Amino acid sequence: MTDSTDSPHLADPFANRRRWAGPIMGLLVLAVAWGALSLGAVPVPADEVLGVLARKLGLSVFTEPSAQAEAVVWGIRMPRMLLAFTVGAALALCGGVLQGLLRNNLADPQLLGIGPGAAIGAAIGSSAGGVQGAIAGGVAAGVVTAFAIRRLSRRPSIDPTPIILSGVALGAALSAWVGFVVFAADRATVPPIEFWLLGSLAGSTWRAFGTVIVFATIAAIVMLASARILDIFRLGEADARHLGIDVDLVRTILLIAVGAAVGATVGAAGVIAFVGLLVPFVVIRFTGPLHRHLFVVSLAGGALFVATADLVARLAIQPIEIPVGLVTAAVGGPVFLWLLTRRRDA
Amino acid sequence: MPEPTIVATSATYRVQGAALVSNVDLEVAPGELVAVIGPNGAGKSTLLNLLSGDLHPTEGEVLINGIDTSRALPGDLALERSILTQREPIDIPYTTTQMVAMGRFPHRRDEANTRERDSAVIADAMAQTDTTRFAGRTYTTLSRGEQTRVSLARVIAQATPIILLDEPTTALDVAHQERIMNLTAVLAEDRTVVAVLHDLNAAAVHANRILVMSEGAVVADGGPRQVLQADLLTSVYAQPMVVVDHPFRDCPLVLPADNAQALDPEP
Repeated sequence: MTDSTDSPHLADPFANRRRWAGPIMGLLVLAVAWGALSLGAVPVPADEVLGVLARKLGLSVFTEPSAQAEAVVWGIRMPRMLLAFTVGAALALCGGVLQGLLRNNLADPQLLGIGPGAAIGAAIGSSAGGVQGAIAGGVAAGVVTAFAIRRLSRRPSIDPTPIILSGVALGAALSAWVGFVVFAADRATVPPIEFWLLGSLAGSTWRAFGTVIVFATIAAIVMLASARILDIFRLGEADARHLGIDVDLVRTILLIAVGAAVGATVGAAGVIAFVGLLVPFVVIRFTGPLHRHLFVVSLAGGALFVATADLVARLAIQPIEIPVGLVTAAVGGPVFLWLLTRRRDA
Repeated sequence: MPEPTIVATSATYRVQGAALVSNVDLEVAPGELVAVIGPNGAGKSTLLNLLSGDLHPTEGEVLINGIDTSRALPGDLALERSILTQREPIDIPYTTTQMVAMGRFPHRRDEANTRERDSAVIADAMAQTDTTRFAGRTYTTLSRGEQTRVSLARVIAQATPIILLDEPTTALDVAHQERIMNLTAVLAEDRTVVAVLHDLNAAAVHANRILVMSEGAVVADGGPRQVLQADLLTSVYAQPMVVVDHPFRDCPLVLPADNAQALDPEP
């Protein structure tokens, strides 16, 4: 404490750790990008990957890529990686926002039922308009479901039990409805039930990425702009009101943003669970509790988590791909349990 | 006497027909430290919520610095009044400084309010409440009394002309109670302060004006000597009370009595 006497009001025990977040995240993103673009059934060496990227920029450096390498890296793996990054970043950020809004570290958009709700709309939309129809339907249904849980958020409490129970019940009911829609729909146009409930990035296209990134970016701007407000939300609704925050308005805007962002990811990649729970939980240990730090690093952390999980999903049992949501759940489930049973220390 | 900053006119708050606060007329000016006392359920907290704008009067009106609380935007109210409430538990590890800094949020759109000014106000609020040495500590690890001082620092950092306190000394040891009340008295020198207090003697010693509430109405309003009368308190609290002189301060002290003493106060 003595070294901080010059400006004690600025003392922040996390300041040092945050300094490392940028470089470390940058290196990890590069490593995961190499894996995502290079590894798979058709391995493409790193220099050939760079050759593909260079050619797309109109340059002719590194190794001249084969036509097959170009098709695999640029046509399949690149949109898949970018979509994984986008979906992961969006889900992690939405988790952080919900945790702030509900004052509850167990909040996760999928566990609260927003993902399964969005999947109903997405499945209906996909029968009408392919992946873009799925994304549009997911956004619409995601916003509607977010408003359904608005009722739950009316009585925020750091006791997580009631809201988690409601979320589990809502999620189970909505998942059943996803099944009804999928089994009633034309199998040739609507992806199967495991795509929706377990998530998959196998069908990623540039078009899907291009649509999701629009919704995700708009939602992310709204959420990042609300970081300071969410800092105060964590203190409770009364304190937020006393500091001049229009509590209902903020809740409405952020729930629309969460519903839209989650809905877009579900339309493109199904319900990938536990990202929103796990990433902020880990990231806060490095950034400290202020949401502007938490959010920025969670964006990178979520992108890394889903892209890495997708790598595992592709490579673990070759040539079979497993749904990416199974991988995230295998990691996230135990952490969730631990959080649920942990004794509160204050 | 300066212009009053809190003006309540026939303020009434009804829930399902029952008046929790009825017909309160009240004017409070800067320099006043008003204690609101009365038994549980008398409407003290409801009155404070009406003054803060958390509740809107179902009849009558409440103006704070000329703003009608029923029509005010939350952001405008936050520049006029700050409130110390019983804090809900939090489960996120904010530091003491971060907690105090949240008091600056209402000033974020004020162009004259620079980052340097924020820092200076925060540092000053922490110095006044003697919380500077907890600056980097996690708020949840502080003792109850220390947490109350941090909350008071946040209220000071909000820099409003009106300060409302809801039972600021509840569950604090006697040293912390004194500290909080002395600080409150200092704040009241140039601000308007209204505090709901359960401790009648804290009100007697520190307040320069006391409101006694009973069943939603203000039944007495005046200086400590004027208001703290044994017969009034005995009837309001339905408990025999005696009033004696403070041994060295110029104010009364209030003590519960048994029935015999109340009937015959000078044995």
